[in-house]
Amino acid sequence: MSTDDVEIGHEIPRLEIVVTGDQVRRYAAAAHMPGQRFVSDEVARKEGLPGRILPGNMSMALLSRMLHDWLPQARIERLGVTFRGIVQPDQKIRCSGFVTDRRETDDGIELECDLILEQGGERRTTGLAVLRLGRGSSTRS
Amino acid sequence: MILDLHAHSKKSEDSRATVVGYLQWLLKKKEVLPIDGLVLTEHRQFDGETDYRRLEDEYGIRIFKGSEVETDYGHVLVYGVNQAMLDRFDFTNVRLSAQEVITDVEELGGIAVPCHPGRPTVGLCEHYEVKPPLEGVRAVELLNGGSRKGENERVEDLIRKHGYAAVGGSDSHLVSFIGICATRFPREISDEEDLVRALREGGYHPVDFRDRLAGR
Amino acid sequence: MSDTLPLGLDRSLIGAEFDSSTSEPVAAEDIRAYADALGEAHPSYLGPDPIAPPTFCVKFRGTRFHHTAIPREAFHGGFDAGKDIHFGVPIRPGDVIHTRNVLHDVYEKTGRSGSMVFVVARQTMTNQRGEMIAVIDSRFMLRPKERAE
Repeated sequence: MSTDDVEIGHEIPRLEIVVTGDQVRRYAAAAHMPGQRFVSDEVARKEGLPGRILPGNMSMALLSRMLHDWLPQARIERLGVTFRGIVQPDQKIRCSGFVTDRRETDDGIELECDLILEQGGERRTTGLAVLRLGRGSSTRS
Repeated sequence: MILDLHAHSKKSEDSRATVVGYLQWLLKKKEVLPIDGLVLTEHRQFDGETDYRRLEDEYGIRIFKGSEVETDYGHVLVYGVNQAMLDRFDFTNVRLSAQEVITDVEELGGIAVPCHPGRPTVGLCEHYEVKPPLEGVRAVELLNGGSRKGENERVEDLIRKHGYAAVGGSDSHLVSFIGICATRFPREISDEEDLVRALREGGYHPVDFRDRLAGR
Repeated sequence: MSDTLPLGLDRSLIGAEFDSSTSEPVAAEDIRAYADALGEAHPSYLGPDPIAPPTFCVKFRGTRFHHTAIPREAFHGGFDAGKDIHFGVPIRPGDVIHTRNVLHDVYEKTGRSGSMVFVVARQTMTNQRGEMIAVIDSRFMLRPKERAE
């Protein structure tokens, strides 16, 4: 569909994935996050965690990926997230969101979106994104 | 009248929702979210300055103001905030005496309602397991839109045991969560003082709209 | 307003710079590795001359993550609480990222896990042309020792 038809209330196509421990290890290395809680179950448990966890930054990046998948031509101007609970590898993650505002700009449109990452039926990360794109762009769905 | 009694705008440090965003959302979703108004209950502060009358007129949705404060028995919603209360309590203090808040807010013309009682650490249920119950509590928040599985259910026992009235609120920090839980009152409510009267009168109950929204 | 923040920090520390660093030139393979770890499919992140996904900027958050006035042990058992990022120009191979870290805020609240202190650092990132890459407000949650009753 065209982004000209995207209105307040539009649901962003969900990203439902399982992130493996290896992906977490590769992300932590690529993002220069040396914390052992991301790669070692034993270290994580010593810190009072149930096992390895995803870096908060990775949760944020997955929500960003959901936006890229939906609107590949959009530019993310702002991204704000709150990490409300731990996210673990090897369990299903559901990223979702909704358009909450639409503004016309000189050369296109600006969309404001709520972002939610859930695992085990609980909200683990919530946030907001502001996207900017040209008029008449198309979405992936 | 159906009011969301517990909402946070960007004035609360952990919320990203604007009031205009809330109103636009409620207008768009009015078929599934029949919310007549919302109460902004900002964390550890009271916004006495912002005038929302123009927005109320534009969107046809009432906007009331309250606060969410932090006490030794968990978090408490305060309705009917006035200057006397602001002079009496430092709303930024995360260790207020819950009993003083309940008693003195009532004496000063308001009402204090413990919120998310089933939540660990900041909810009443856990504190009642080890401390005497508070005197003078009229109502508690049975339905909180931000609660995790089982937390709202814990509150039912609390209500039965102590005879509290029950309210509902979204505890929204994002636009798309406004109104998912709310409170249905038997009459119209005109302003914050009238909200306090209505909460003291009784006859209201929480309403749950969480299942009405796609994806939830 | 009190002159003392949570953790006994002096309010005058707000706005104080505590770290400044400059990266090595960004390698194309680092951008691709970051995108690949996330399962990003956008071709602009994966090609021979990629631009970085916007969140790649978190890699350049500096060499110190907190002001020295905050005791290191205060961070034990703490967690990343979230971020607010304003993005500028994208990062490209060859870019050199300069990061400046400032203590932005310190506040206290209570939640599910008890009493918490939040430390907010503001990271301002620019490239070798002085263009803004990102301004990031990073919130870290600490669990201070409970006060004696």
